Amino acid sequence: MTKRLSAAAVALVAGLGIAACGSSSHSGGGGSAGSGGGGSTTLKLVAADYGTGPSNTSSKYWKGIATAFHKANPTISVKVTVVPWTNFDSEIQTMVQNHNYPDITEGDYFSDYAQQGLLYPASQVMANPGELLPVFKKQGTYNGVQYGMPFTTSTRTLFYNKQIFAKAGIHQAPKTWADIKADATKIKAMGKIGFGLPLGPEEAQAESLLWFLGDGGNYQDAAGKWTINSPQNVAAFTFMKGLVSAGDTEPHPGTQDRTPLWEQFAQGKIGMINGSPALVPIIQQAGVLKSSDWASVPIAGKTGPLTKTLGVCDNVAAFKAGGHAAQIKKFLDFAYQTKYQLQFDHEYDLLPATTAAANQLSSSSLYGSFIKALPGSIQYPSNTSWAQVKTQVQNQIGTAVTGSPSSVLGSLQSTAQKLG
Amino acid sequence: MRIRVGSLRPLVWVGPAVALIAIVVLWPVVVLVHSSLQNIAADGFVVGGAGGRNYSELWHEPALAGVVERTVIWVVVVVAVTLILSLALAQLFHQYFPLRRLARTALIAPWAASVMMTALIFRWALDPNVGAVNIILHALGLVHRFGSNQADWLGRPGWALVWMMIVAIFVSLPFTTYALLSGLQTIPGEVYEAAHVDGAGRGYMYRTITLPLLRPAILVATTINVINVFNSFPIIWEMTRGGPGYETSTTTTFMFILKQSFIGEAAAISVANFALVIVIVLVFLKVTRWKEAVT
Repeated sequence: MTKRLSAAAVALVAGLGIAACGSSSHSGGGGSAGSGGGGSTTLKLVAADYGTGPSNTSSKYWKGIATAFHKANPTISVKVTVVPWTNFDSEIQTMVQNHNYPDITEGDYFSDYAQQGLLYPASQVMANPGELLPVFKKQGTYNGVQYGMPFTTSTRTLFYNKQIFAKAGIHQAPKTWADIKADATKIKAMGKIGFGLPLGPEEAQAESLLWFLGDGGNYQDAAGKWTINSPQNVAAFTFMKGLVSAGDTEPHPGTQDRTPLWEQFAQGKIGMINGSPALVPIIQQAGVLKSSDWASVPIAGKTGPLTKTLGVCDNVAAFKAGGHAAQIKKFLDFAYQTKYQLQFDHEYDLLPATTAAANQLSSSSLYGSFIKALPGSIQYPSNTSWAQVKTQVQNQIGTAVTGSPSSVLGSLQSTAQKLG
Repeated sequence: MRIRVGSLRPLVWVGPAVALIAIVVLWPVVVLVHSSLQNIAADGFVVGGAGGRNYSELWHEPALAGVVERTVIWVVVVVAVTLILSLALAQLFHQYFPLRRLARTALIAPWAASVMMTALIFRWALDPNVGAVNIILHALGLVHRFGSNQADWLGRPGWALVWMMIVAIFVSLPFTTYALLSGLQTIPGEVYEAAHVDGAGRGYMYRTITLPLLRPAILVATTINVINVFNSFPIIWEMTRGGPGYETSTTTTFMFILKQSFIGEAAAISVANFALVIVIVLVFLKVTRWKEAVT
């Protein structure tokens, strides 16, 4: 009796040990999970969610492609996981930090992963990477080799509510910072929010750059040296701080994320806000503003509208860990077909990333002007440290409109310099 | 031979528990300390040893002083207020009144509900435009205009902290009250009767009988609450994400934000957190001479 019990106890200890090892040793990732039986492969795809709710979640879009692809290639299945934008970076970073790699990601791109040799070069996983829009090539390139493959792109413009403008007696779209200030003051007097300023963690790096550009500033100079606390950038934030302290923006912009503010713009509560084409479906879905009630114009700068706007692309990256280069190539060539590019752009009002799709859309009244602005657009820095710098910017830059712009930007500058 | 087997027998019984503690509790601590001494790239690869560099970087983090100060305030206020309220609640639930059983069961709700869910509900209730709390305060004339700076409670670090403390107290009350209630139930009624015969007043009895006899329960409740509140993550994360900047972060959320970019430094602050909790608890037990109280 005792003997049997002790044997059971020993077995239990051994079991615990195995269980504990089992939980940590399985780090090969989902990539290899499906391989085995009958030479079939399962690719693990992790994509950001561009949808505004269950009806248009990106999960539908990707599953549609995955199903069609599986029909054409019965030996390859694609397991789709969709992550909300606010969590996308940290989820991908956590997967990679734990060495639990996906095969393909679509969303933000981390050039430090290319530096670490985690990614396949574009040439190995696409038949013709030259089809991708050339303007975004540099951002996905490390040491002369392209790893990040743009999948969708967008440019930024200033959206304003024409209805509110008319009621406030403003007859012109804002062109300069002075216009923004004057218009926001009038709109505030009507009990609405003058200017929506999302400086919360979701996308503070984009909003900040749009203001930097207005004064001829940027995160880096032409030589690639960090200039986060340049006089122009400090001046931009000093102006924004003035707006905030006068009550011309929503309360506490440092805590406000982009999506909730876009939704408030769509509800007709905000006079002006910087947006991308992705704001359009939010406006349409809310059903408050008619298409004649709002307009989008070039972003206002210090002395006049920006001639070059921020061009943003979201990238596809292919991870090496699963060893599925051939299967990934088949899938990406399939997913980059013009019809899927156009489907994505119509679903989310974003811009394409392939030349063929861009050509098809360039004559469209809705997209044409955005697409013409793409080739000359300004990009985020392409350094491998940008991912880390961006996280710091997202978390801290919002405090510059309540605290001291020069000290907040100064501390970000020294962090960026330290990261290289 | 028989003697040796016999002397090993206790090990067989204690073994599984010891192994469990070693694997689940001690091993992660070893890994944690080890990580804090390494230079780990943002993508999880160990670049090499870092010596004490993670710790010195952490020490020079400009936000650190504020974060630590806030953590101390957070723990002290939440635990103290929880304890005071729970003493009163325990007293109330110790009395006989109609539907007492139902009331005692209802007290479990904040405990049973997911903390993250509770935090989310409070965040929505505090929405500057449509939040229930603001609607009530507006009706009372305390909030003058929806969507204003004043109505945006979670945007102001000071007020955000107050509201998050309220949520933390709300979710800590059930456990603390039950711990104290069970303590109250161990005090024999005869003691009070004797004191009453001797002419002691209610306040005097509470100070000289109830509180001293409750001491073991209070000590246990306080210790567990200090650890829980110190490590509390979901409330702050769901309500403010520690922002703006790090102005509503405690060491726990600060560690999580650091981890995104600086894994080694995040490990260093985890080690510091771990050490701090142990020190706080040891000092607390020493000061309150818990052994005397228990025996």
